[in-house]
Amino acid sequence: MSTEFINITINGRGFEVPKGARLIDVCRDKGFDIPSFCYYSDLALQASCRMCLVRIEKMPKLQTSCTIICTDGMVVTTQSEEIEKAQRAMTEFLLANHPLDCPVCDRGGECELQEMTFDWGGLEERFTEEKNYHAERYLSPMVANDPQRCILCKRCTRVCDEWMGEDAIEAGGRGAHTVIGTYMGWLDCSQCGNCIEVCPTGTLLDGTYRHQTRPWELAQTISTCNFCSDGCQMSLGSRGGELMRVVARDRYVNGINGEFLCVKGRFAHPFVNHEDRIRTPLIRYQKGGKLIPATWDEAIRHVAERLDTIANERGRNAVAVVGSPRLTNEALFVLHKFATELVGTQNYTTTDAFSLKPFFGNLGAPLATHRDIRYAQTIVLIGGEPEELQPLTAKQIRQAVRNGGARLAIVNSVRIRLTEQASQFVHVRAGTEEAIVLALADSSNDNLAAQKAGIDSREIDAVRQLIANTTGHVVFMFGGELGAEAQAVAAQFGSVLTKEATRFLLHPLPLFNNSIGAHDMGMMETPTNPAQILDSAGVEIRALYVAGGFLPLHLEGREGALSKLDFLVVQELFHNATTESADVVLPAASYAEVDGTFTNNDGLVQRVRPSISPLHQAKADWMITSQLAAELGLDFGFEMSASSVFRQIGEKIPAYSGIRYPLLKDETSPVQVKHHVSKSEDLGAILNSLREHVEALPDTGEKLDVPGKVGHELFKIGTLTDKVPQFHLLASGNPRPTTTRVSPLYQITVDASLKETAVAGD
Amino acid sequence: MQIKAIGCEPLQLRRVHIENSRWLDVYRANGGYEAIKKVLDGMSPDEVINEVKKSALRGRGGAGFPTGMKWSFVPKDSPKPKYVVCNADESEPGTFKDRYLMERDPHMLIEGMLIAAYALGSKTTYIYTRGEYRYLIDIMDVAIAEARAAGLVGANILGTDFSCEVYTHTGAGAYICGEETALLSSLEGLRGHPRMKPPFPAVSGLYASPTVVNNVETLTAVPDIIKMGGETYQKLGTEKSGGTKVWSVSGHVKEPGVFELPMGYDDMEKFIMEDCGGILDGKKLKAVIPGGSSVYIMRAEDIIGKDVRMDYEGLVAAGSSVGSGGFIVMDETVDIFESTKNLTEFYEHESCGWCTPCREGTDWLVKVFKRIADGDGRPEDAQLMLDLCDNIEGKSFCPLGDAAAWPIQSAIKRFPQDFRKHLEK
Amino acid sequence: MSQQLINIQPLSQPVELDVAPAVFSSEVEAEIDRHLAKYPVPRSAILPLMFIVQRERGYLDPAGVLYLANRLALRITDIWEVATFYSMIYTEPIGKYHIQVCKTLSCKIRGAGMITAHCSKKLGIKVGETTPDGRFTLSEVECLGSCGTAPMFQVNFDYHENLTPAKVDQILDTLP
Ligand SMILES: Cc1cc2nc3c(=O)[nH]c(=O)nc-3n(C[C@H](O)[C@H](O)[C@H](O)COP(=O)(O)O)c2cc1C
Ligand code: SF4
Ligand code: FES
Repeated sequence: MSTEFINITINGRGFEVPKGARLIDVCRDKGFDIPSFCYYSDLALQASCRMCLVRIEKMPKLQTSCTIICTDGMVVTTQSEEIEKAQRAMTEFLLANHPLDCPVCDRGGECELQEMTFDWGGLEERFTEEKNYHAERYLSPMVANDPQRCILCKRCTRVCDEWMGEDAIEAGGRGAHTVIGTYMGWLDCSQCGNCIEVCPTGTLLDGTYRHQTRPWELAQTISTCNFCSDGCQMSLGSRGGELMRVVARDRYVNGINGEFLCVKGRFAHPFVNHEDRIRTPLIRYQKGGKLIPATWDEAIRHVAERLDTIANERGRNAVAVVGSPRLTNEALFVLHKFATELVGTQNYTTTDAFSLKPFFGNLGAPLATHRDIRYAQTIVLIGGEPEELQPLTAKQIRQAVRNGGARLAIVNSVRIRLTEQASQFVHVRAGTEEAIVLALADSSNDNLAAQKAGIDSREIDAVRQLIANTTGHVVFMFGGELGAEAQAVAAQFGSVLTKEATRFLLHPLPLFNNSIGAHDMGMMETPTNPAQILDSAGVEIRALYVAGGFLPLHLEGREGALSKLDFLVVQELFHNATTESADVVLPAASYAEVDGTFTNNDGLVQRVRPSISPLHQAKADWMITSQLAAELGLDFGFEMSASSVFRQIGEKIPAYSGIRYPLLKDETSPVQVKHHVSKSEDLGAILNSLREHVEALPDTGEKLDVPGKVGHELFKIGTLTDKVPQFHLLASGNPRPTTTRVSPLYQITVDASLKETAVAGD
Repeated sequence: MQIKAIGCEPLQLRRVHIENSRWLDVYRANGGYEAIKKVLDGMSPDEVINEVKKSALRGRGGAGFPTGMKWSFVPKDSPKPKYVVCNADESEPGTFKDRYLMERDPHMLIEGMLIAAYALGSKTTYIYTRGEYRYLIDIMDVAIAEARAAGLVGANILGTDFSCEVYTHTGAGAYICGEETALLSSLEGLRGHPRMKPPFPAVSGLYASPTVVNNVETLTAVPDIIKMGGETYQKLGTEKSGGTKVWSVSGHVKEPGVFELPMGYDDMEKFIMEDCGGILDGKKLKAVIPGGSSVYIMRAEDIIGKDVRMDYEGLVAAGSSVGSGGFIVMDETVDIFESTKNLTEFYEHESCGWCTPCREGTDWLVKVFKRIADGDGRPEDAQLMLDLCDNIEGKSFCPLGDAAAWPIQSAIKRFPQDFRKHLEK
Repeated sequence: MSQQLINIQPLSQPVELDVAPAVFSSEVEAEIDRHLAKYPVPRSAILPLMFIVQRERGYLDPAGVLYLANRLALRITDIWEVATFYSMIYTEPIGKYHIQVCKTLSCKIRGAGMITAHCSKKLGIKVGETTPDGRFTLSEVECLGSCGTAPMFQVNFDYHENLTPAKVDQILDTLP
């Protein structure tokens, strides 16, 4: 697709610009400053703030540059007395009813209205009348609202609708009495807080952070989120060793997610400084005894001795090593090295929900980035529920459909919320997603699949046609419902379903921030899995070294497994079901305290940076492992720096070759790792075993017509969200408090009876 | 109150005084549904549009846009359905003509809509009536039902293969919904905010399909244009403003009412002093707002002895405009400061709140007016108000902002003494 | 919802409020169906339906809001944002008779103020208030298109024009 260029003149200078470009973007790109509030890239046009006025020759009035598409020969003026008067007038209007008490406003210092006033405001205040008054209030545990400060740019209502598909916040009333809010005044939504983020003024505020610091007191550190596999870029704001807030404001950070974050990324950070953090190494000298604080030296020595003894007495495979897919690549790489080079055990794995090995082992097409998703023409989603599990992916899908006209096909047993955007929804019985994969790969299975899934076989053909008729690119996504064979087959769909010329991209939807990294670092290469390790605890496996905890799904039904071990050492942030049986507990540093990288579901390696120093005596996971290795006699040679660990990753792991920290400096141009892609794999054998598997599937699974309530996954209490009171409110149904008034005397509190116990192991 | 034609044969008002004029048989007995018959008997859609072009009919909703031209903007080859929407939101202060046209002659509107639908290839039409006119919606519903029963609305009208539905729709109290794009938002079930133009409704209007929005009086003129031919109709008026215009007269005249005048009616003074019976209680004329609240206010001295011609060009030359034809007459007892305050309160109440200058500007202006009315006027307030108006005018998203500014600008300029007396005490 | 072509997809998630949705008789349901049948998109019927709910329930109460959201497959906020935009939709209870005196220019200069004052005195309430028995609410409203027959008021949907205090008394005294 070649771009056509046209000529336009701005302020007397000629420019060549791509046909169809928007004037405001062009002007800014060429260095002409255009003020605006309501214009927001990739949201529906609003043209209501009237700040972006310019003069265009042959047009009667001043024009809003945000609504103008450049045409050939257009002559534009962006600066003149007339334009300046208009822009100053708009600023004056916006300030008329706006309180002029910036010093007490939480947004003071990062307020766009304040900045605009600095540039465009008048010297005297001509508005001497009484200002319209609205009381401050909470809209939810996360969102505080001061309606008086609103300038009605409606960015919030647009992101709520267009990004989140929730439409939970809207403008009510009319004229000067228009107020952003919601029916009955309480926000029942996924609490992503994106409305807060995009608000240019102090109207929507982070209810968990309000009045704790001034923005300029915060040190901003660009890092990567440690929840889901989307890998949003964020700015961690800390003061005096405390992580105070997380934002994605474009003044600080410009990653793949723009200003988007979800409720966890934005609001779950208070776990970092939580008082329950494990503070020192702890040793349980006797089974059944207590964990007793120890020094690092003592703890490391103790662990080394015990592991050494058990390996010598019981064999190397008696020692198992397990790492969480939440850890950095650096931590997982070192853990892998520890397991393979030092211990020499076969028993190592990652505590992920499913293994990505079959997928990457058979990868036939590159991974889609989130940008690819936004500009895809066709998106196929089998299983999964991105709106709850990978919210950025969900947002990209929604925008691809709504703003880009993409076609979306969804195969799911639940009418998930994204089906509102779908042009095709194949409603299958629970547990039969793999049957559709089988049928898509080989149409002779259509009837089998249709019968298992409880659908019409033409529905499968329609999906096939949708993909085949795509002229742009196709993104194929799948959730954890697909087992090993189905994943391996799906990995080759590029050549099966499309013609040569179509760009076909894959987008796996693992659950954790570094699931992909855990695969890449080799932690998924063994045939074993966390459940098997637990099952052989105390039998074949006598000692277990765990970095991060097991998932509840693994521990369920295996409650006593860990206590059967001769020796259990755990690196953790908090006490949990795994540390309960531990003989040694080592305090690990959280993502906000370490250097490192995560690899997201785009295959992008993104930096994790320390916003604060490790709390108490915590240490980075990779460092603990290397010290243990050193104690056991093998110096990994990392010289105490994460970058040197990463240098080895670049040397040892082909997909990461050539990548170094300096290349990852800029979050605006992330680096994709080069997973090995090979087409033309003969699928015969895998297909046969997939067919056998499908034939054995029951056809009794349920079809759910109503999705879980918004937040049913996001609000689940995990080890980390358990530490944030507001999440308990959300988990217990976000009840409307007796008062939503905002005052220094009234803060949102959590009734102990509402507290739920952690279930989700994250 | 009177309803009559002056200076011409009644066209729009032809049937208003006939007993039972709103019933189908009376309408038919008095020339009704002959135009649609003529159209279906062999005129092509283009011929219909051509006649309307020749008639020099200009939109009666306020903007005065040539109707034939508007119709010709609708793309013929669009695969989407096309819609004709009648704008019966009539909320411009001083305007009430559409109300009587619909009340007394509902079938004339239905016939006009059918002809428009035929010309534009539309099968679905809506009459968007302001919510307060509930009784008119009931009248229209009855008339539509009658017409449907007689094969004039619905499938295969008059036995031809032309099919068209006419539906009523209700507003719910929002002046802005008279603005055509806001009307369409409202008809789609959204808040009544105006939309960006372009795309114009003719290309992408209701449900993103080609749509023509016309005022009631515009559409009711169409049957006569078809019957007498565009040229004949045009000759009733002037070259650029064809036909007749229905004015709504209110305020301090002895005979307020609804009057049909030929376009180009030669003298506004005569109209006020004779046709409307002159000023009430023998008082003196002070000011006239000739075209609904949004147009420039005129002084008596610009009318008396000035032979102001009542059509688009004539009123512009006299320093105002036809607007919606809401003719408000004020006598010497009216304080123009107070009357302007009253209108500004209207605009503040009706601003939809979408754009900054109109929302904040009208709010600010009302506050200034109130402060002055409370006795706290300052000499510099006149300048402040003019500057605020200047900051609204031409910068708002839709013309409501302009409409709010114009009455103030013209009032301060033309009646400075009325303001001065409040500002300097 | 922003200014875009209406999203015609059904909602995946039913709307929840703490009340049970309003229930209407089969005649009212049929009337609602007739309105819905006029439009290719159900949302278009939102204003006609709001008037029906108001007529049946006195005002647009939470149960009515929930009914509309379910009936039109819209979110609660969609109903709320529309309801609060239009001055004839009441989200708060209102008197049985809503006296709406036109206060705009033509009426104003022909004595609207006197009519309002008279009503106010007669009913013992100020503009914007409702009588304690819930019978009358008095409002001043903008131009109702009766400028030629000023002064005037509307009681609910009925126009009363060329008013004098005596006429006002007669109208208000004879209301059922
Ligand atoms: C604020 C505003 C209010 C309007 N109100 C009305 C109205 O009540 N009735 C009407 O017919 N046109 C009204 N218009 C004009 C319409 O936008 C539109 O021009 C008209 O309906 C087109 O029909 P016409 O060409 O037949 O005049 C209004 C315009 C504006 C800007
Ligand atoms: S000028 Fe602006 S605020 Fe006023 S009605 Fe038009 S869009 Fe709404
Ligand atoms: S940015 Fe153009 S009007 Fe707001």
